[in-house]
Amino acid sequence: MRWEKTLMHIRLASILVMLCGLVGGARAADKVTIALNWVPEPEFGGIYQAQLDGTFAKNGLDVEIKPGGAGAPTWQRVASGQVEYAVASADEVVIARANGADVVAIFTIYQTCPQAIMTHASRGYKSLADVFNGGGTLALEIGLPYGKFLEKKYGLSKVKRIPYTGGIANFLADANFSQQCFVFSEPLAAKKSGGDPQTFLVADSGYNPYTGVIITRSEIAKAKPDQVSAMVKSLGDGWRAYQSDAKRANDAMGKLNKSMDAETFAAAAEAQKPLIQPPGPENLVLGTMTSERWHDLVGQLVDLGIIDKSKAPAPNECFIGTGGK
Amino acid sequence: MTTVASQPQAGVSLELRGIARRFESTGVVAIESLDLDVPAGQFLAIIGPSGCGKSTLLRVIAGLDRANAGELRIQQPTPQRTSEAGPSGPGYYAPTPRVRTAYVFQDAHLLPWRTVLKNVSLPLELAGAARADRERAARDALNQVGLSDAIERYPAQLSGGMRMRVSLARALVTDPKLLLLDEPFAALDEITRQQLDDQLRRLWRERGMTVIFVTHSIGEATFLADRAIVFSRRPARIVLDHMLDLPAERTMALRADPAFARQTGLLFQALQRGGAC
Amino acid sequence: MPRARSNRWSWLGAVLPPVFVFVVLTLAAEVWLRVRDVKPFIVPTPSRVFSAVREAPGDLLASTCKTAAAALIGFGASALAGVAVAIGLSSTRLIRNAFYPYTVFFQTVPVVAIAPMLVIWFEAGLQSVAICAFIVSVFPVIANTLAGLLSTDPALRDLFKLYGAGPLSRLWKLRLPWALPNIITGLRIAAGLSVIGAIVGEFVATELSGNAGLGVVIATSARYGRTDRVFAAILAASLLGLLMLCAVNLVGYLSLRRWHASEQ
Repeated sequence: MRWEKTLMHIRLASILVMLCGLVGGARAADKVTIALNWVPEPEFGGIYQAQLDGTFAKNGLDVEIKPGGAGAPTWQRVASGQVEYAVASADEVVIARANGADVVAIFTIYQTCPQAIMTHASRGYKSLADVFNGGGTLALEIGLPYGKFLEKKYGLSKVKRIPYTGGIANFLADANFSQQCFVFSEPLAAKKSGGDPQTFLVADSGYNPYTGVIITRSEIAKAKPDQVSAMVKSLGDGWRAYQSDAKRANDAMGKLNKSMDAETFAAAAEAQKPLIQPPGPENLVLGTMTSERWHDLVGQLVDLGIIDKSKAPAPNECFIGTGGK
Repeated sequence: MTTVASQPQAGVSLELRGIARRFESTGVVAIESLDLDVPAGQFLAIIGPSGCGKSTLLRVIAGLDRANAGELRIQQPTPQRTSEAGPSGPGYYAPTPRVRTAYVFQDAHLLPWRTVLKNVSLPLELAGAARADRERAARDALNQVGLSDAIERYPAQLSGGMRMRVSLARALVTDPKLLLLDEPFAALDEITRQQLDDQLRRLWRERGMTVIFVTHSIGEATFLADRAIVFSRRPARIVLDHMLDLPAERTMALRADPAFARQTGLLFQALQRGGAC
Repeated sequence: MPRARSNRWSWLGAVLPPVFVFVVLTLAAEVWLRVRDVKPFIVPTPSRVFSAVREAPGDLLASTCKTAAAALIGFGASALAGVAVAIGLSSTRLIRNAFYPYTVFFQTVPVVAIAPMLVIWFEAGLQSVAICAFIVSVFPVIANTLAGLLSTDPALRDLFKLYGAGPLSRLWKLRLPWALPNIITGLRIAAGLSVIGAIVGEFVATELSGNAGLGVVIATSARYGRTDRVFAAILAASLLGLLMLCAVNLVGYLSLRRWHASEQ
């Protein structure tokens, strides 16, 4: 009698444990890597925020953030299986897919592309067209898709194009020098060094790919949809937290990137806010993407001759775009 | 102290007083204090054990090295030009452009990128002679050493003996008054060596320059020279200064003559006394 | 008769072995990459590279010529300046000790780091790319030439001293010919380096209007995910370097064949 009672207690207890296990989701956290495409800067603030707040962990993700640097090949690393997630830009996603790499975008940091042309205020330009017609030198990274876009739109006959290799040394030294920039990065540095930067967003000229796009392999998206949604949710939460208070994440990134001081971190984090916020009502979801914009982008890249029409990917295959609610 | 050259005024006479040479870096004293007189046109052989300082002495005479102390006076032979070479004082040497000196090393040391003709004409080229003149002189010199048909060859294509003959021709092309040779034939085989000894003595008899010939070989010294000096072990001191008692005409057969053996015996004993063995 | 025959066919002995090795390696790479199913945007198969070449051979040739111009100018400058600097360094021990360490600067400075200065001082374009080629290729010429100049046979030095040769005579007639084998060695190394230097120079200091040099082709194609074109450009660069090396070897052969062991 006593023996049977004990047995029943044991059975009940084990059923309870199993139920707890099923309900509590007590499986081990997914171990994944996110590869950044630059050194830690406010551009990645939301990602570091999600890690610091434990948001990733709460959603069942054990995330390692790997900073990158100049020329870091992020989509290739994702496509070859080296890392699970990475930061890239939308035009890189289209180019990757056109060349047979099966990557897909799941979240976008910037709604408006922060790429811009920085020129000297002393020249009195009113628009990008003026920059291209005004003579002098223009530094653009070799092979940059929007470089080709701007060339096609405005022509190169009146300005000398040279490679952009980083920094603002030439800009400060030459009043006739214009260069590419991230709108809240180089101009802030130039102003700090006593220069007179004036910026024109490339997006305003009609080329506006999603930038700071988190990508993964479509096989991961198919096999582990829960993991992908967990990632998207964490990113959304992380960015919301970073937008309201950037200090903690900035300090953490500042330790990893000694060449940017705390003041610049704060200024850049503030300046980038309008580019991150989606258009429309205040509480629209961070990270959303629309197929119209992807469609436009594919068309533009074919038009520029950067990808072959026959290899152009279908816009809807490029992204999973519900955003981080 | 008669000289046997046919043109005694073609050579210089040398006077060395108290020549000393000490190498600061190693502390080695090559020559302590040397006095030596060499009359014009004499063929002098210097024998001594290895490292005893005979090469150093030759370099000091040539002006390639500076003595630390002593005087070296080189006197031109012709009466109208008894110019002495420089004031006395420690460590000076005769400026070579004023005394035509030639030096023959143990290796031929030819310029490998030049033909035989261009190698032999080098000394005249460096002195600024016109091309036609120096090539003519070079051809003559090569003729004298028997190498007329090797004019356009390169040193790499010649045998050791031929290279040494080119070196000799180069030494003779300036018609030097003083000819210094530092074991020039040591690296050659016996037969070639004797041929070259023969050729050298003949050339000396024709031209009459003063010759100082450093050698290891007692037999060679005996065959070639009027006078032989034997040095002791370092630092060099003269152990024996001997006029060789041999006929002026030196043939190959002389080497078998007992008179020859007597002379070599004297020199050998001197070497022993000097601590060579 | 047999002698003439061996001369006519002897060049085959020089050309066939490397061609054979090339064919074997290319086939092996093709097979291995296909078997392992390596994605083309990581490493393209040789067949893809060759079709990229066939796609626009005229453009590739034009790019190669543009890079070659800068490489040749840089190489020429390295040859002249390198030998001149080495001559200066070989004059006295004091000068050598004072300045030789700074020539190493040319070897270690990352060209990308001084690119902004080049563009500010010299403007982007052929001249700056040639300067990059020069910077990268000058040090081997200096180092090898100096070694040759310092190793002159002491007995020959004595000979020249004996005959009253002045320093200019000594330099022209003795020290430089003596150092020639070393100079040729330095030039061999500099030839390939000047191509690399020109390509890196194009990454940083070329003018991007007009024809694209090989460096621009590489950077652009990498950006567009066209690794096949990247490798096609690399192939063209290698051939350019090889051509320059052969030219140096020819000069070496012609000038040294009579007298130096290395060419006998």
